[in-house]
Amino acid sequence: MRWRHRLAAVVLGTSVLFGASGCIGPQTRQILSSRGELPAFAEIDSVPFFPQEQYFCGPASLAMALAWSGLPVMPDDVVGEVYTPGREGTFAPDIVSAARRNGRIAIETKELDELLRELAAGHPAIVFQNLRLSVFPQWHFAVAIGYDLNERQLILRSGTHRRLLMPLDAFENTWRRADYWALIVLPPDVAPATADTAGWLAAAAGLERASRPQEAQLAYDTFLSRWPGNRAAQMGRANALFALNRFDRAEQAYREIVAGDPSMADAWNNLAYALYRQGKRDEAVRAAMRAVAIAGDRNADYADTLKEVSRPAP
Amino acid sequence: MSYRPGKAAIAAVTLAFSMTLIPAGPASAGLISTDRIIEREQAASDRERVSSFVARDDVRKEFQKHGVNPDEAAARVAALSDTEIGQIADRLDSLPAGQDAATAIIGAAVTIFIILLITDILCLTSVFNFTRCVNR
Repeated sequence: MRWRHRLAAVVLGTSVLFGASGCIGPQTRQILSSRGELPAFAEIDSVPFFPQEQYFCGPASLAMALAWSGLPVMPDDVVGEVYTPGREGTFAPDIVSAARRNGRIAIETKELDELLRELAAGHPAIVFQNLRLSVFPQWHFAVAIGYDLNERQLILRSGTHRRLLMPLDAFENTWRRADYWALIVLPPDVAPATADTAGWLAAAAGLERASRPQEAQLAYDTFLSRWPGNRAAQMGRANALFALNRFDRAEQAYREIVAGDPSMADAWNNLAYALYRQGKRDEAVRAAMRAVAIAGDRNADYADTLKEVSRPAP
Repeated sequence: MSYRPGKAAIAAVTLAFSMTLIPAGPASAGLISTDRIIEREQAASDRERVSSFVARDDVRKEFQKHGVNPDEAAARVAALSDTEIGQIADRLDSLPAGQDAATAIIGAAVTIFIILLITDILCLTSVFNFTRCVNR
């Protein structure tokens, strides 16, 4: 059974090398020359395997990532969210938004080093590849589940292969032709191993946009336990509570922000709404006036807020 | 036989039209979204980075060497929009690392960056589309 995987990897690798200049990719070379703290081997066995049916590598890959993250999802469940019939395929941005619509943190990375570090931390990643040449592309989604630096291999759930071993530099070549697109999909209360604050925050805010405030709040809580005092995350957490109609807790969250930084007009503005929605009109008006006083004429939004919360309480 | 809309169809169309007239949740219309806050925080940190760059001693000296009043350069940077500042910040990011003030010697890339910024301001070049050239 196993030789067939090997054979597939060899065939794939050869077809890939045919198009490449035949040298090791720069990211692979970097990793092999100095792997730092990275363990030599990692494999996440707990990623389930859903073999793809024709054209359906996108839904299959997304479903594997979501199922690993604890959701009872099968490929058929996500076809409608990511499959574009007219193109007989899946667009990468649709995978991002579908992951978020399912309440999962989705963070893109273009760095092989980051991809491997996430795998070492036990986080699988959806990877986008062009298995053929740029002029004659064959786009493909798969799930990276591990690697073996001694054998210079990446371990994938790919197509109909439960455990595909692909030479690392062959992978880099196919990955490069797909603009190095990889996506880490995590439960909202799990911290990514590599993401910078901006990437993680954007992923949490993405959950808000996808109307998943519950998961957004969890993501902000997780973020704040790692980066306490980050104002954007504090605001996001408060906004998520507001979206959950927990106006009392949102009020408390906004108050904590303005206690730390009384010049944060956005927090005063949103505090006004949290108070207004609880019927505390006078306090709402006072908060809105603080925002107006800070921003002066520079921001008309705060004046609109003041106007709105001055109306009789709902 | 001509098409005659049934009662259900008329009701559906009426409902669709009336729904467009119902204002969305009135009291949260002006809530400042997290996306906007992230943008603003990003803009503020970009601005901070660019301002501290032009305030660096070595950078100020470089400005003077090219006949530009460093305070004037700083004032111009302060007047740039968030988008423009973002573009400079991106350029700063792409400069080779390790050229903090402590090294005292400005690398070639930083010098080129400053010269281009200056020549743009003097209307000799047009590399950064955001610089306000003095003749305009």
